[in-house]
Amino acid sequence: MSTTQVPYQRKDLPASVTAFGAGATAAGAAIVALTFMFDHSRGLYNNIIGLSVLASVAVGALFYVALEYLAGAVWSTPFRRVMEFLSATVFALVVVALPLMANLHEVFHWTHMEAVAKDPILAGKSPYLNIQFFTIRNIAFAVLWIFFYAMLTRFSRKQDTTRDQKYTRINIRFSTAFMPVFALTTTFFAIDWIMSLEPHWFSTIFGVYYFSGTFLCALAVATFIIVSLNERGYLVAGLGKDHYYSLGTLLFVFTNFWAYIAFSQFMLIWYANVPEETYWFIARWKNGWEYVSLALIFMKFLVPYFVLLSQPSKMDGRKLKFIGIWIFLAHTVDMYWLIMPNFSRSLVLGWQELGFPLLIAGLITLTFVFKARKENLVPIGDPKLQRGIDFKI
Amino acid sequence: MSTSAIDYTIDHPAVAGTPSAASIDEVIAAPIDSKPSKGWWIGLAITGSMLGVGILSISWLFYKGTGVWGVNQPVGWGFDIVNFVFWVGIGHAGTLISAILFLLRQKWRTGIARFAEAMTIFAVMCALIFPLIHTGRPWLAAVYLFPYPNQHGLWVNFTSPLLWDVFAVSTYFTVSFVFWYIGLIPDFAMLRDRATTKFKKIAYSIFSLGWRHSNRHWQHYEKAYLILAGFSTPLVLSVHTIVSFDFAVSVIPGWHTTIFPPYFVAGAVFSGFAMVQNVLIVTRKYFNLEHIITINHLENMNKVIVLTGSIVGYAYAMEFFIAWYSGNPLEQFVFLNRALGPYAWAYWTMVTCNVVFPQLFWIKKVRTNIIGMFIIGVFVNVGMWFERFVIVVTSLSRDFLPSSWGHYVPTAVDFGVFIGSIGLFFTLVLLFVRVLPVVSMSEIKAVLPGAQPSRH
Repeated sequence: MSTTQVPYQRKDLPASVTAFGAGATAAGAAIVALTFMFDHSRGLYNNIIGLSVLASVAVGALFYVALEYLAGAVWSTPFRRVMEFLSATVFALVVVALPLMANLHEVFHWTHMEAVAKDPILAGKSPYLNIQFFTIRNIAFAVLWIFFYAMLTRFSRKQDTTRDQKYTRINIRFSTAFMPVFALTTTFFAIDWIMSLEPHWFSTIFGVYYFSGTFLCALAVATFIIVSLNERGYLVAGLGKDHYYSLGTLLFVFTNFWAYIAFSQFMLIWYANVPEETYWFIARWKNGWEYVSLALIFMKFLVPYFVLLSQPSKMDGRKLKFIGIWIFLAHTVDMYWLIMPNFSRSLVLGWQELGFPLLIAGLITLTFVFKARKENLVPIGDPKLQRGIDFKI
Repeated sequence: MSTSAIDYTIDHPAVAGTPSAASIDEVIAAPIDSKPSKGWWIGLAITGSMLGVGILSISWLFYKGTGVWGVNQPVGWGFDIVNFVFWVGIGHAGTLISAILFLLRQKWRTGIARFAEAMTIFAVMCALIFPLIHTGRPWLAAVYLFPYPNQHGLWVNFTSPLLWDVFAVSTYFTVSFVFWYIGLIPDFAMLRDRATTKFKKIAYSIFSLGWRHSNRHWQHYEKAYLILAGFSTPLVLSVHTIVSFDFAVSVIPGWHTTIFPPYFVAGAVFSGFAMVQNVLIVTRKYFNLEHIITINHLENMNKVIVLTGSIVGYAYAMEFFIAWYSGNPLEQFVFLNRALGPYAWAYWTMVTCNVVFPQLFWIKKVRTNIIGMFIIGVFVNVGMWFERFVIVVTSLSRDFLPSSWGHYVPTAVDFGVFIGSIGLFFTLVLLFVRVLPVVSMSEIKAVLPGAQPSRH
């Protein structure tokens, strides 16, 4: 069971990356602070957008780490560390959630006890939608995510020095346990933070809608980073078109999956035409929101679909980097589309909306830089690493 | 820790041992070269009798009309649509294995793809019986079954998912059949070259379409296969999505719910895999294919079963939660009625078979135990049949107005037609194993150890 040594030379990331991370974080934080000062509610709704995008990156990346262990995939092993580093943003997630936890009353209608008392439907939901249970649930989500992050990355790190296959087996077990946790926590996270903004509205597919976007967003960010690192020689030698092709295919798959889920939800509500469901879509089809709805189809489905459709473009590093950033932005637009119509019935879009996306991008970069300083960018002790490097379609 | 033997540094071959290419041909072609055994004839007698029961039931139906079925107001949809959805679902595993696993480059699919594809085609044939006969007099209805210009605005009703079903299922059937046939061509040529009787020689010559195993043929073949795999993948999703639309576009509580499309697709794959697993367990034993369809294949299938079973469980839970969360008394009633009402026995059968037993597949010992997995596979199919029964019947039998509630009891003819469809399915499976290679000989050779270019 001996592993051949894979030649890997650890290099520090260029200072420009740190500078970008620090700059984006500072600029984002400044805009966020100004937004909170001038329009507190608007800041909070934007905060939910930031929270849900960052959760997509952090928990989505952890999903891919677990998926690789469970599926026995080898092609992704050489860059699994990128996913592990991205999932380290679970800690930043807690920080981003704090301003919201302190101001639940301002964004969630169901926290207004006098309104709930007058509304039999909301009163019926109050065993689930109340501040205590909401807080407990969300603390539990964070604890679970951090726990699985800590376990999965810990054993992966240990393997760097020991090269013991035992850790792969242990991580397969943790991955197995993580999958149902992932499905349930992200579902209820989405119901809590996004669906309950409109507390009368309901859709059974909503959790799936959120985590389909989560798959896409985490993979898009990772694809951008992986291709950038590989082009500059930060990973091991031998990674190329076949690996890019697999990343591109997976992005293509999840683009279609998201579109399928989004279409199913829209189609069934539109066709059945029941007023207690349709009003949610109608709100997104007037007063300027219709442009966002259309832009979403264009950004999150049509463009990625056609960019990624052909085989050569899936192998083209430049296109992959472009689409990686594009999908990250599209997912942010998706969250904006889900959340902001609850803040204002007519379209709002201004400098205030730039704060959180910038802050999130900065936090992701800084977390990544921080992790890359201490750890190898390649899981050099992983038994599947050589097979992963040798991978051919 | 039972998995301690796995070495992750090496790729594990898709077949056991190192069989030679010639021995692969021998063992796969053996059932075709030899005379059928007694066991096969007994099997055919049983499935043929079941088919006979079906033919008698359908004849009686045609003679008397659809009044011989248990459907009536308010349960206007009964066994016919339950069985239709059940059989279409069974077919989904075939396309998943042959097309989606092919696109995902899963080498282990080669051992089971042929069989699963054949089952897809047979299952869709079984499914198509039901929309055909539910018209009562299909020969009179023939003109209405096909889409025609819609001046009347009645049927063909282009806004009805039932019509989309016609398009979706027929397209799916056609593409699945072509896909299956293309995959068979090299094997037909192989059988032609091995044929000992004149009749076989001529028959397999015609079916092999002049295949000579030339380099150019293989190039075209691989391209066609990849393109068809690409086509089949959205098709298989569209079929069960549209089947789910049959229910979900309505405003009936328990039918109208947005999670139906992915939930139906997962359920279809779930039941289909269970059926393929069951039939393969018998086939590999009977035809000595245990080194080609290995325990690893079965274990992988069981992993897919536990995954899709968990997705189905997630959907049940989500439906229940949102029914409560919606605050809609009708939704809440429907789900309580399912669990506690007159059809509670069907509901709990469904939950036990679909959500409880397949979860045992998390345990490796169960996943690799032939008898254990066979029993769970049967449970899954029973459970998935009951799932459709629960969805169709409970929602209709107690709808908005208590004064118009009713109870649905299927009649002997209902059961007769269902038994007939099972008979048809297994008769076709039995005929298939005698005349066509149950495993793709050419594909298996490509995954033998040493068949791939080595990079070391």
